[in-house]
Amino acid sequence: MQHMVQTMNQEPFENLRLELRRGCLVLAVLAALRREQYGYTLRKTLSEHGLEIDEGTLYPLLRRLESQGLLASEWREEDKRKKRFYLLSSGGAQVLDQLLAEWRSIDFSIHAILKEHNHGTD
Amino acid sequence: MELIERYLQSVKFWLPKQQKDDIIAELSADIYAQVEERETALDRKLTDAEVEELLRQRGHPLLVANRFLPQESLIGPVLFPIYRFVLKIFAYGYLLPSVLVWVGLMTFSSSYRIEHTHPSWFTAFASLFSYLWFTTFLAVGAVTLAFAILERMHARIHFFDRWSPRKLPPVRNPNLIPRSTSSFELAVNLIFFAWWAVYFHSPEVQISSELRLSFHSQWLWLFWSYLLLALVNASLAGLNLMYPFWTALRATLRLLSDGAGAAIFCWLMQANLLAGIAAVNLSAQQSIAMTQAINDWMSRLFPASIVIGLIVVATDAYRIVRLKSASRTVS
Repeated sequence: MQHMVQTMNQEPFENLRLELRRGCLVLAVLAALRREQYGYTLRKTLSEHGLEIDEGTLYPLLRRLESQGLLASEWREEDKRKKRFYLLSSGGAQVLDQLLAEWRSIDFSIHAILKEHNHGTD
Repeated sequence: MELIERYLQSVKFWLPKQQKDDIIAELSADIYAQVEERETALDRKLTDAEVEELLRQRGHPLLVANRFLPQESLIGPVLFPIYRFVLKIFAYGYLLPSVLVWVGLMTFSSSYRIEHTHPSWFTAFASLFSYLWFTTFLAVGAVTLAFAILERMHARIHFFDRWSPRKLPPVRNPNLIPRSTSSFELAVNLIFFAWWAVYFHSPEVQISSELRLSFHSQWLWLFWSYLLLALVNASLAGLNLMYPFWTALRATLRLLSDGAGAAIFCWLMQANLLAGIAAVNLSAQQSIAMTQAINDWMSRLFPASIVIGLIVVATDAYRIVRLKSASRTVS
């Protein structure tokens, strides 16, 4: 029975988790690209910090952020192979600061709500 | 590495023309970087099976390409519920009644059945299916096209931005009986009662100085039945006017009176009650022919009257079910 409930909850949890991660990934990508990187190393950097992202999500996201002027990119040869390097643009840096402020504000609000709830149930 | 090139070629096929080469170059760099890293870790070349597994993990080429494409839809999420609603109206308001009328005609009209089941029942089913298929195809196509155009217009005009809460429909209460409806029903039933009582109390009905209708003796059953029904309906309408909410008792009375009315009407349609017509400038032969024609036409309308009667009774029955389920929810 417990297993059934767990399985039933798994799908909504997975959808909500993906929804929650979507916005966070933009923040993580912008933050990681304060240092110039190409796609594969960016993916590894994010993975090493616990944020797994598949290439099917990462590359379209990088293109979108670049088309919005938040990233700049250039093709360069490295280790005998051509690679596209991305770097946060000055506009991207400003947006990153604003998003981080928003992130902290949301984090603060959620903690406050949880704290209030915990006091209520004590 | 042929597998990787085949994979990239398949992804490339689905990509937008202007970005094809750029996206493929980046995707290729990513795949080869991953392969090189694995080979360095294993200190050997990857086998074909290992490359195959690596590509399989990346997903089907179409899905991979799809992530680079702009999100497109013929009918977007804003208009889709209205689109579905219009299709439902077509299904329940046209297709279903068409099938019911066909079943009614096949069951109760022998002339229709003989005409349409020649040479076999298969012909009748095939003709119904082809009619339904053609109508559905045309209707769904037309509705889809109209909504696709609306979707493009909506993207430019934003017509959902211009709205006012005051123009929204009032809150619906299905158990409320509008006083206007009850007043109308009361007036119609009283007028019908008077007209019926004055003009149709005898099987010999004088419509005007130049026209007289004669009915068979069963006519009196019909006369008293409808007189009684008109009285019951007028009383019910009066009661509804004073207490404008459906109760289980009144909903049941309405079901019984409508059911009786529908049954008597269906009987009237195939009873050949009209015995003769007498009119100025109408010969005896013409009178017989016209009487026969009217009785025949009424018989032909018998299946339709059954369908209409069933719809009325089903609506009344649904009202009772709704009231009972509402009372269960409250308790």
